[in-house]
Amino acid sequence: MEGGSFIVEGWRPGPDAPASGWQSIFSVYAGDNDVPPMLGTYTVENSRLVFRPRFEPSPSIRLRAVFRPPSGSPVEAVFEPKHAKAAPSTRVEHVYPSTDLLPANQLKFYIHFSAPMSRGEAWQRIKLLDGQGVPVELPFLEIEQELWDRDYRRLTVLFDPGRIKRGLYSLEEAGPALEENRRYTLVIDSGWRDARGVPLTGEYRKAFSVGPALRSAVEPARWKIHVPPPESTDALRVQFDRPMDAALSMRLLSVLRDGVPVAGTPALAEMETEWRFVPSQPWKEGEYSIVVDTFLEDLAGNRVGRPFDVDVFEQVTKRVENSSVSLPFRIGR
Amino acid sequence: MKTRSFSQSLLFAVTLCCSTTVALAGSAASLKAGKAELKSAGPLAFGPDGILFVGDTVGAAIFALDTNDRTPGRGTNRSFEIKGINQKIAALLGTEADQILIHDVVVNPLSRNVYLSLSRGRGPEAVPVIMKAEASGKLTELSLENIRYSKVDLPDAPDPSAKDRRGQSRRLESITDLKYVNGNVIVAGLSNEEFSSTLRSIPFPFQAANKGASIEIFHGSHGRFETNAPVRTFVPFDINNKPYILAAYTCTPLVTIPVSELKPGNKVKGTTIAELGNRNRPLDMVVYRKGGKDYILMANSSRGVMKLPAANLDKYQPITTQTEKEGVPYETIASLKGVQQLDKLDEANALLLMDDGGSLDLRSVPLP
Repeated sequence: MEGGSFIVEGWRPGPDAPASGWQSIFSVYAGDNDVPPMLGTYTVENSRLVFRPRFEPSPSIRLRAVFRPPSGSPVEAVFEPKHAKAAPSTRVEHVYPSTDLLPANQLKFYIHFSAPMSRGEAWQRIKLLDGQGVPVELPFLEIEQELWDRDYRRLTVLFDPGRIKRGLYSLEEAGPALEENRRYTLVIDSGWRDARGVPLTGEYRKAFSVGPALRSAVEPARWKIHVPPPESTDALRVQFDRPMDAALSMRLLSVLRDGVPVAGTPALAEMETEWRFVPSQPWKEGEYSIVVDTFLEDLAGNRVGRPFDVDVFEQVTKRVENSSVSLPFRIGR
Repeated sequence: MKTRSFSQSLLFAVTLCCSTTVALAGSAASLKAGKAELKSAGPLAFGPDGILFVGDTVGAAIFALDTNDRTPGRGTNRSFEIKGINQKIAALLGTEADQILIHDVVVNPLSRNVYLSLSRGRGPEAVPVIMKAEASGKLTELSLENIRYSKVDLPDAPDPSAKDRRGQSRRLESITDLKYVNGNVIVAGLSNEEFSSTLRSIPFPFQAANKGASIEIFHGSHGRFETNAPVRTFVPFDINNKPYILAAYTCTPLVTIPVSELKPGNKVKGTTIAELGNRNRPLDMVVYRKGGKDYILMANSSRGVMKLPAANLDKYQPITTQTEKEGVPYETIASLKGVQQLDKLDEANALLLMDDGGSLDLRSVPLP
């Protein structure tokens, strides 16, 4: 084996592959049992038969190269796996929402990891325990795609909407996943493997209690804006009237001056009840606005101008709207 | 398998046969040879003429690939069995079986060969792979290096300011299912940020100018109108010679939506025709005809495989009161357990991907 290629030494192949293909003469197998040979390409280079696998074989797998010369007995070479398992280092960094008092119709969690994770085992690794430590049955929308970001460092976990919406849960089966005035713990199993295949450094627990359901639309007009002084780079602070969705409030709020976005860095504080914006350049005196995309949601999925539950079809406007709400403010006198 | 075969689509689209013929010529011409750079390979659907549509969630795109697999499969009494297909694919790709995630399985309605979308690896560096499985058991990779293809980008986040360490928006819209229906690729998606489930209808051949705006579906359920609930799987289906899609939602209502309403920007009222019970995840559906009657076969996470009669779906009163398991009656096929993927192999057989204690088996069963 040389640089990822498998080479038959000491045998001169003809220039053309035999009728049954080079694979009939030389095959490389990944694994021990009765497995098909690895996919790859065969070439004759410097009178040697060379096999390049389609993918670099996993280092933790045993490889077996078998040369079956047209005459004579087969020759086998075995490449033992390298068992160099790394030590656990990936952990859960944070779970949003940060608050430990969630509405009964809480819609989602965002689980942030310190390093990229493995896909395909989320639903075995996330549990919701009730106050007695008993797992709640199927509280989450277990979609097989798993809602990761591109880096596999943030997983979005949706509560099953069928167990949130008013009246949607059945009479026969149990009701909502979260019940008011009860306590729960979100448990993230330490066995969850990161992208290297190594488990987490430890289990993660988020204990919380449940308050009343939140069923009103988000109204930016109720927010309090704390305006910084001119010529400073102090943060503009927006106090929400309730905790907001962390990912969306980082993405869907912006500051404009004369219709032009102001460069700066947004951040969340006070358990996602406050949005802060630090400008790249000192604030200038003048008229500004905070622009809020109406896709912004609170913890229960209520949007700007539209609650999560819409009862009557006719009340909904005829077109899908992706508009925004503008909150004007002035810096300086 | 999340797809009804194209020949079936033709059957129900009687009124559209002429325009479909035109689309065939146009679709073949619209594909250009080159490297199809998929960033991920998720839901699959066959379109006309051996064209395979692939949903690429990470790349936020739909690819149309020319499989060049148009030789008609012969016979009707087919059988298909590849045991431990995940282990076999892992060996072919030089890795362990647990590093192979199979995302979708579909049958090419022309050749009756089976196509699988999968990833080699489980992390963000996982490589998307499309494999072809033949009834003989032969497994080959569909090479994406030099293939006739076209792609359409899905609209991404409106404001990509929240970024990951690669400077990309953290928002992704997971493609949960896609189908080819009468010259359009219909795509169901679910965002990892805002709670919005979108259904897009994208004309094929793809045109840069028409990416298919999202459509909002409202359907009555238990006296409420449910909005934006994620569509888990859907099939095209004809009711009184009009094309509909039959969509399975998360808490398993079955909803019919007229295809004619699936226009960009529309708000559409779907009709809930069945409640199949809570705490259950629909995984896949096919529609088939047996003994002169139409049926729906649906694979579910906890309720096994359900068979529903599909006749007179328009006669069922929309479900609007709080109840469960009403509307269209169904029976559960107890012998089919652990079904993860389902497609129609031919007019008489279904193709299943079944989990048998960690070993995934691809096999055919007669349609019940």
